[in-house]
Amino acid sequence: MKMAEIKLKLKKEPRYPLEAETITPDYFAGKSIKEIKEAILFHGNQSVKLKEFFEVSGTSDDIKETKILIEGNLSKVKRIGQGMTGGEIVINGDVGMHVGNQMKGGKITVNGNADDWAGAMLKGGELEINGDAGNYVGAAYRGFWKGMENGVIKVKGKVGRESMLWARWAKKAGKFPTLYCGGAGDFLGMHNHGGTIIVEGNVDRYAGADQIMGVIVIKGKIHKKLPSFKKIGEVSEIELPNGDKITGKFIEYSGDHSVKKETNGRLYIAV
Amino acid sequence: MSEKSKITYKDVVCPFCGTLCDDLEVDVNTKENIIIEVRNACQIGTRKFFSSNPSEHRYEVPLIKENGSFKEVSWDEAIEKTADILANAKRPLLYGFASTECDAQSKGVELAELLGGILDNTASVCHGPTLLAEQDVGVPTSTLGEYKNRADLVIFWGCNPVHAHPRHLGRYSEFVRGYFRTDGRNDRYIVVVDPRYTHTAQIADLYIKVNPNEDYELINALRAELRGVEIDEKEVAGVPREKIKELVNILKTCKFGVIFFGMGLTQSVSHHRNVDTAICLVRELNDHTKFLITPMRGHYNITGSNVVFTWNTGYGYSIDFSRGYPRYNPGEFSSVDCLIRDEIDASLIVASDPASNFPAAAVKKMFKHPLIVVEPHHTPTSVNADIILPAAFAGIETEGTAYRMDHVPLRLRKVKEPPGQCLTDREILEKLIEKVKEKKGEL
Amino acid sequence: MSLDNLILITGRTINQGIALEGGKTTKESVRAAGICAFDKDDFKKLDCMIGTPVKVMTEFGEVVVYSTISEEGPHPGIIFIPMGPWANQVVNPSSQSCGTPTFKGIKARVEVVKDGKVLDSVELISKLKEG
Repeated sequence: MKMAEIKLKLKKEPRYPLEAETITPDYFAGKSIKEIKEAILFHGNQSVKLKEFFEVSGTSDDIKETKILIEGNLSKVKRIGQGMTGGEIVINGDVGMHVGNQMKGGKITVNGNADDWAGAMLKGGELEINGDAGNYVGAAYRGFWKGMENGVIKVKGKVGRESMLWARWAKKAGKFPTLYCGGAGDFLGMHNHGGTIIVEGNVDRYAGADQIMGVIVIKGKIHKKLPSFKKIGEVSEIELPNGDKITGKFIEYSGDHSVKKETNGRLYIAV
Repeated sequence: MSEKSKITYKDVVCPFCGTLCDDLEVDVNTKENIIIEVRNACQIGTRKFFSSNPSEHRYEVPLIKENGSFKEVSWDEAIEKTADILANAKRPLLYGFASTECDAQSKGVELAELLGGILDNTASVCHGPTLLAEQDVGVPTSTLGEYKNRADLVIFWGCNPVHAHPRHLGRYSEFVRGYFRTDGRNDRYIVVVDPRYTHTAQIADLYIKVNPNEDYELINALRAELRGVEIDEKEVAGVPREKIKELVNILKTCKFGVIFFGMGLTQSVSHHRNVDTAICLVRELNDHTKFLITPMRGHYNITGSNVVFTWNTGYGYSIDFSRGYPRYNPGEFSSVDCLIRDEIDASLIVASDPASNFPAAAVKKMFKHPLIVVEPHHTPTSVNADIILPAAFAGIETEGTAYRMDHVPLRLRKVKEPPGQCLTDREILEKLIEKVKEKKGEL
Repeated sequence: MSLDNLILITGRTINQGIALEGGKTTKESVRAAGICAFDKDDFKKLDCMIGTPVKVMTEFGEVVVYSTISEEGPHPGIIFIPMGPWANQVVNPSSQSCGTPTFKGIKARVEVVKDGKVLDSVELISKLKEG
């Protein structure tokens, strides 16, 4: 069965940040186009209607079958997809902060760059960014010491600093929060408590800082490795926490030993 | 001048830096309402008291800019125009609140909430990263009196108290006798870690030269060695491995250690993660001995600003009220970032000078929109403002509470009257709150 | 003469603090904060007299300040400008999403500009108001 599709086209650039957490399949499902146009967004300290900023067309359905297609330069539009549990969002353009934050299910695809906090506190589902992403991808919000708990984030380009901050797995429940990216900034996997991170390209400094458990794989080069990571040996295959395997020649490091004398945390850097 | 018109105030609290010295003596000519002499304060504190005397730099009357020059107006007119601008703004910024007393800071929270704007203080460009780190890993800390009496190992990491907190060394951390440190300086071992051989380093017992922007990896190496894990690198951040081991030994074998740290950690490129790892190092040292850490707060009441904002909103700085309730996220709601992204459409600056202290890119944007300052004297911000609301100096012309860098609250004194038509910061903010409430009722 | 591959650090000095409290729009503040302190040996390479104006350039901007020899050296490869409007023309305004700009540790290079004019803080900041 074909998914019900709702098209949103940005009519004008917001002067202030536009907070749009009502743009989710959950909110749109079962609503008429007329009702969707009345959805509340926040522009600076004013509440506005969705129709003020977007042209709306299409039909909706129940959550799992709703697909939202958004066009335009959404770099100032924040919180799209917040907490969604199913359905799909496709954004053809750059998108603002907090895209897909606290998502539980469904899929978001960004055909452009994403700003900071993309996929923050992710609990499930899939977030795909076909450009670069800002800082704090898949990270915990301020003051939270549990970040991404499940789900997958894929970023074709480079993610910024502190991505996967405080990520936490739940092995028995089969929850393995995972990030695939093309490159990464400083402090990748900061305070890692079980996140899995695979980088196709290069990483800046200090990957795995304060890592307690989890796996970080760097297929390119790291600009500076922390002194608290100790070389164990060379491997030709890595088994990820979720059971997947990666083949290739890597040097295996344990760490972060600044936190623990003995640790199961691992960092792999391609030879 | 007859002796009768001179009063000497003792135990005056100095309204300059986070050391908040409480032993100043100030002579005031009460007839002419001017400061005559200040004793015990450092050069900067002394200068601050004298700058409150009437001069061409002091504002005494509300001013509104018209056709490029300032025109004197009544308070009513100035408040009316300010409230009008702020009430109509969709993303106003209320910034500063560091060099004023706690009641005024509380009024600032109320005003920001009414306006649905951004509320921020100078921690945003200073020790904000310290608060971020404390929120992630906590902080083992104590008061300056404890350090004075007990610390036999004092480390200054990325800070230069000789220049920034001139009496700190003489009152609490280096050249003072303590209850268990009866031989003063000789009972203490002072270590300075800095890329430059600062004046503070020049009088220390051990100077460690760290490469700029590499403090993080140095502390990381210290922590690993402390856990008994030998690092492979022969040198980290420009410090040889032997020196790192030597330093770990010094840390472990003291009786009571303290790290004082400053902008070297918070303003270099790893920001809050530098502080995060420093706090973790200190916490881990408590497996071996007693060790604590305290940030060298810059302004005399920036700690108060964080404390007052926190007990009102739950958050210490970079707070957004645009959704009707407080939200916190430095980077998203911090002043410099919001200004650079051109989100702000009006600014109210209280007891601060962002034109001097913000990067030029942010100042440019701030000047594009209406700018109102609550300020006692000429600053690069005030001379470029649209409206100037002349304020009394808190701690000189009005009393109030200030929090020292170690969170000890001290009562600021009033030693003279504010000149001209100056009002206190809290009176000005109260007037603005009343006027904005009126206008929001109308809107 | 010029110098490349430098790292710029900005921060407090007691003179800048005194000038700050005394009215930042005075000549005193130029002498306190409109300066750049060099390591002794680095300064020799510049081949100029103390006080000669130099242009400090980073990827974020440029500013002309008076040159001087640091009393807090040696620190080869590091230059120091006190915090304030001059430093803020060249520091990194990006906070890397933590809120606090990067005022320390910025890559810089320096050129002697013998006839360069060092602006006072009012002139300097007023330029930010234009356009």
